[in-house]
Amino acid sequence: MHRVDIWTVVACTALGVVTPPAAASAADLDVQVRATGGAPVPEALVTIHLIGQPTPRPRLAGTYSVDQQDIQFHPFISAVPVGASVTFMNHDRVRHHVYSFSPAKRFELKLASRQQNQSVLFDKPGIVPLGCNIHDRMIAYLAIVDTPWAKTADAGGHVLLRGLPAGSVAVTIWHPYLRAPGNSITRTVTIADSSMRSERFTVPMRTPPRDPGSGY
Amino acid sequence: MGRNSPSIATLLRNGLLAVSGAWLFASPGQAANTPETGLLIAYANLDVAAADGPRSWLNHGGTGKSRFGNPDGDALRLRPYASEAGLVLQPDFGWSLSGLVSVIAQHGQDKAVDINEAFVRWRPLPVANVRLNVRAGIFWPAVSLEHSGGEWAVSETLTPSAINSWIGEEVKVGGVEAAFSTMIGEHRLSLTAAGFGLNDTSGTLLTFRGWATHDYKATLFSYQPLPVMNTFMRRAQARETRPMIDLDHHVGWYGKLAWAPPGPIELQYFHYDNRADPEAFNAGYQWGWRTRFDHLGAILDLDTRTRLTAQAIDGTTIMGFPRGADGQRWVKMRYRSAFLLATRQVAQGSVSGRVEGFSTRNHGSVVLSDDNETGWAWTGAMRWPLMRHATLFAEALHIESRRDARLREGLDPRQHQNVVRVGLRLRGAFGG
Repeated sequence: MHRVDIWTVVACTALGVVTPPAAASAADLDVQVRATGGAPVPEALVTIHLIGQPTPRPRLAGTYSVDQQDIQFHPFISAVPVGASVTFMNHDRVRHHVYSFSPAKRFELKLASRQQNQSVLFDKPGIVPLGCNIHDRMIAYLAIVDTPWAKTADAGGHVLLRGLPAGSVAVTIWHPYLRAPGNSITRTVTIADSSMRSERFTVPMRTPPRDPGSGY
Repeated sequence: MGRNSPSIATLLRNGLLAVSGAWLFASPGQAANTPETGLLIAYANLDVAAADGPRSWLNHGGTGKSRFGNPDGDALRLRPYASEAGLVLQPDFGWSLSGLVSVIAQHGQDKAVDINEAFVRWRPLPVANVRLNVRAGIFWPAVSLEHSGGEWAVSETLTPSAINSWIGEEVKVGGVEAAFSTMIGEHRLSLTAAGFGLNDTSGTLLTFRGWATHDYKATLFSYQPLPVMNTFMRRAQARETRPMIDLDHHVGWYGKLAWAPPGPIELQYFHYDNRADPEAFNAGYQWGWRTRFDHLGAILDLDTRTRLTAQAIDGTTIMGFPRGADGQRWVKMRYRSAFLLATRQVAQGSVSGRVEGFSTRNHGSVVLSDDNETGWAWTGAMRWPLMRHATLFAEALHIESRRDARLREGLDPRQHQNVVRVGLRLRGAFGG
């Protein structure tokens, strides 16, 4: 299996798909992600990197945002192209103190109640866990991706990635509760011209940790 | 209950009810599983209870173990109660420093309105994956797994277990607490340590009354009645105990270790020692009670809708001077209790069942083995959110106990009681 840096293969979309480039004779890859017991894994992140040729940079398309509503982040997992800014929008009546101390991005945002339009630029690929210093149970993840093929699974654990060039690719599944080094599993897949290929991943999942509660 | 509620408390309750009634009709909405929070929380608890059995311990001379009873006979007596109302103010002082002041009026409380909790809280941003929480002021140690929120409300039932009823009535401290938490791999660990005072009388109620199951809470200035004591103790001990008082200026301490391994379980160990001088007393005959206990807590989520909660406590309390040939102090009591609570989320509400057992054993020179107590209880409860600011509870509670000291008053040493209770919880949060 081709070795790929985990921080460069983990990716997902904040608002749909990270836009792939147009490619002649493009192929599609249909991915199903299921846990060992057979249950789908919603929000599992699927990313693709090319092997033997450079992976194109993702194009910035649309806006990227993480909302705070009902004392939770939405969505739980977001994919953001490297170089994009993410807007943090507080819809709650209470304030939030959003932070991350990840190597990919260290920041804090003080969001007054119902305050919007505070943005952060993410210029390095990697996983950025998000927390709120006021509400311990608020947890979310940004995946800053350097590939145009990245998408989170729907409720059925299903992802369709379009516009892949022919050749070998590394397909990576990531989820914070996936029981594997780096919370990810990577598989090499060969893509044929103008084809539709299906891949099924069965991944070991751990039970999410208990809600840490409010602290007091 | 026999004691009349003071007029100011009644006014506060009525005012809160009027406001709450307006919310009921003005802002119907989907009740959230997580209580709303805000700068100000206002709440009111209304109950209709049908109870048999003896008069509540909250009435002077009562021996009943719940807040309700029917001293006129064995039949269930139906009565409405405005059990509790309160205001919780949670101001922010910058982004890492905040406060909480909770004032409360309860049915049976001897002060019209009293302070429930009051503390400042410092929560700096985590450093190197370590979170620090500091509290300073008046608060309950984090023992109960049944209470939550700024008003320290019971979450899934109306009546907490005997363990957490005792925590609520006699284990509230004034002090400084620091809690460190971190993730080590997939394991979440937290360590809490505190130094405190203002809790020297902890153990008084537990010795003279024994265990109880109720949702009455200790407040900063209020007193709580004690049952009839033996002749010696009636001369030495006041007939009421004040739970928040410091008599010797000894600093007590507690520590807690919590571990959440990967998966749906969390385990907690807690140790408490108030380091009170058992020979200290004041002019009002409030005594120092050297109270220590070990506590284990566990939460297990069987699935996304089913939770098991268990707590167990084992402790001792000592009071008075050495007396007699063996130099035993007046009171030396060991107390133990444990419960298992199962809660199943059903739609937006929940159903719960709880079983518990409790005992006290006395080896003092004045309080002897006839004050020993053994008992058990079961509770069935339902919680159903009606609308955004109103939640309905229904609960059935059965409690049995044996205590030979009841013979002093000509009572049957065996006691049993049934309480059926419907409660409306009105709650609103205002401000960001």
